[in-house]
Amino acid sequence: MNGTGTTQAPAERPPAKMDLWRRLDERLGRRQFLLKAGWACFWAFLGGWLLSNLRYLFPNVLYEPTLTFKAGQPDEYPLGVSTKWKKTNRVWIIREPAGFYAFWARCTHLGCTPNWFDAEQRFKCPCHGSNFNTEGDVIAGPAPKPLWRCAIRLADDGQILIDKARLENRPDARRKGDFFLPYHSA
Amino acid sequence: MPEPAPPRFSIKPYLKKTKLWKSIFRHDFTDSPRTRLQRVFGNVFLHLHPVRVPKDALRIPYTWGLGGLSFYLFLVLTVTGILLMFYYRPASSLAYQDMKDLSFAVTLGRLLRNMHRWAAHLMVVAVILHMVRVFLTGAYKPPREYNWVIGVLLLVMTLFLSYTGYLLPWDQLALWAVTVGAQMAANSPLLGNEGPFRLPFITTANDARFVLIGGTVIGDATLIRFYVLHCVAVPFIFAIFLSVHFWRVRKDSFSKQTGDKVDVWPHLVSRELLAALLMTVILFVWSILMNAPLEGVANLNVTPNPSKAPWYFVGLQELLVYFDPWIAGVVLPTLIVVGLMAIPYVDLNPQGVGRWPKIGWKRLGPIAMPSPKERAFAVNVFMLGTIMWFVLIFIGAYDRGPNWEWYWPWETWSHRRMTKLTLKNIPNLWGLLLLASYFALGSPIPKRIKAWLAARGGAKAPAAASAALHTGLGLAIAGAVLIPLLISPDPAYPNGSRYPTLLEALGRSQNAPIVHGMFRVVQTLGPLMGYVVNAGLIVLAGLTLAWLGVQFGRFKDRRYEELGPIKYAIVMGLLLMMMGVLGKIGLRLLFGIKYILSFPGVNLNI
Repeated sequence: MNGTGTTQAPAERPPAKMDLWRRLDERLGRRQFLLKAGWACFWAFLGGWLLSNLRYLFPNVLYEPTLTFKAGQPDEYPLGVSTKWKKTNRVWIIREPAGFYAFWARCTHLGCTPNWFDAEQRFKCPCHGSNFNTEGDVIAGPAPKPLWRCAIRLADDGQILIDKARLENRPDARRKGDFFLPYHSA
Repeated sequence: MPEPAPPRFSIKPYLKKTKLWKSIFRHDFTDSPRTRLQRVFGNVFLHLHPVRVPKDALRIPYTWGLGGLSFYLFLVLTVTGILLMFYYRPASSLAYQDMKDLSFAVTLGRLLRNMHRWAAHLMVVAVILHMVRVFLTGAYKPPREYNWVIGVLLLVMTLFLSYTGYLLPWDQLALWAVTVGAQMAANSPLLGNEGPFRLPFITTANDARFVLIGGTVIGDATLIRFYVLHCVAVPFIFAIFLSVHFWRVRKDSFSKQTGDKVDVWPHLVSRELLAALLMTVILFVWSILMNAPLEGVANLNVTPNPSKAPWYFVGLQELLVYFDPWIAGVVLPTLIVVGLMAIPYVDLNPQGVGRWPKIGWKRLGPIAMPSPKERAFAVNVFMLGTIMWFVLIFIGAYDRGPNWEWYWPWETWSHRRMTKLTLKNIPNLWGLLLLASYFALGSPIPKRIKAWLAARGGAKAPAAASAALHTGLGLAIAGAVLIPLLISPDPAYPNGSRYPTLLEALGRSQNAPIVHGMFRVVQTLGPLMGYVVNAGLIVLAGLTLAWLGVQFGRFKDRRYEELGPIKYAIVMGLLLMMMGVLGKIGLRLLFGIKYILSFPGVNLNI
């Protein structure tokens, strides 16, 4: 209401096209461009180098024990769970009237070796208390999935051949093919 | 005037005049105000101290010297560790032999090893207590937020140093603790071969576990990796963070600023020396009286029964019993660490800096509860979390026996005891309802909605809406746990079911006390009356939850107005998850429930 305010004349604006080019030039002149490009190269190199060192931590050649072994003649196994190979090869071989299958003796929870309790017909893990039945299914404890079964077949010399590199635990697939050795073939 | 006696020759004044002496020591050591300052800022080791500090900051019952003791133990560990390295070779065929040599053939070897092990345990204790002290005295509040974050990282590194050091003896204890720890990495989301949402290119030969142990099974590659991490890599990073930590203590000043200022030399330095001496005495006596454990040589195929982690990880081991590994081993530890780091940024209460909380009495409905007079929410939540962690440690250490079964401390362990454990899942839809209602319990009623409600339905409408919301959620939670027990058939026997309902399956197992009780009710009162009584109990449980919700309702709304939506969501989310852990443990121990949600196809179980 004091009447002193004057209306400011609008600043003269260059055409929009010109404006964009000039702003770009001011913002990213030659020196600025070179500087930014230099830093970009520096960080790209450093980042790439660090990432490639991450790859360095993944070994290309592993010196690890073999995953297959021969488990003797089929006749050596009575009916039931055999713990004969647990200490040396970490495998249980189960013989039932129809044939053989083999469990990898490694809890599917966090990788401890369970123990076989004959009186209860259960495998029980000492680390977090998972229990498995003779089918390998979890009946108690925190394990999320059934025990893994190893591929099992007869070698040329008639011995049972166990392959821990090939594993299966799906109920529809684990009792056939390479994961179950029918008795008539043994 | 008698002639002054000719000065007796003494070597010290002579030495002090030499160029050599003067080049090393830049000031003299008479006790004067000037030299007291010079001793601190003229010495590279002491100059991280300020030269003068407030008197009250030096009182022992304020800090208990815990930060300094942690650092002193780190120094002890460095020295004893370097000495142990002279005899230790990190190869699976040699390591255990070297441990035996250190224990029986090397002069003082056993003492050094004991000191290294016990100092590590003491350091974990000291660091944790230091954190608790800093929290309770509000010493993380502005301007010290950043240093709290550094401190949390140092705690994590302390634990990681313990973990990597654990494998080096290559005995059974070592191997199986590390097997379990490494397998948790295989369960991490996205990057773990057995975790949820595994990326398509991840296999057992390139996942998170593979890079940690340097192969697909624990062996020489693992040992050298852990050796380098333990002896060089982690201590290196630790030292960098430690310097930042000290520097910030100095720059941000002490949290206690009352009392006259006194000289750091001698007042603080003498206390530090005394604390270090006392700790040294404790460490020596402990190391002379008690040997560090060394079990049989590592056997990759046989696990000792029971196999227990060191005490500071046994809480985590116990947590792994109740949750899938990706939650207990990856998500929860990450949340704990991130949650701790977030504390100074979401705690806007300026009260309580530089003093321990005073405990008063507070009413919660009809119950009187001890509670701090200021910062009640922060202190209660933090202490609840800390105590929960130590309760888990206690359970793992003293209540678990062979096959990780529950044995009370006074029970004798038996490897022949029959297991009665039976666990069942809540069907997914009910589980979803349970989780959704539980997390909805955290929702506040913002002011605007309250005003709107009051305008539409009168002054009592907001309170009524809150009561309705909480009653609904309470009933939904209780119902989602208990109704599926009564109506869902036992999924283990889908066709020609052995037990018609989960209630029967779990009730017969005698391992789920509450479900067993409900089952007994049905048995004694007959099906009709039994189910009516059980339904009544469900409603009662829901109403209790609802009552608790209403009690906290006003509190929640106030917090929401204080913190704003983002900070509120962080605080309430973390709080609900912490209480949720407790809830899930309860579901497991009292109801025999294994999973709330289960999608085995994608390894996602909660």
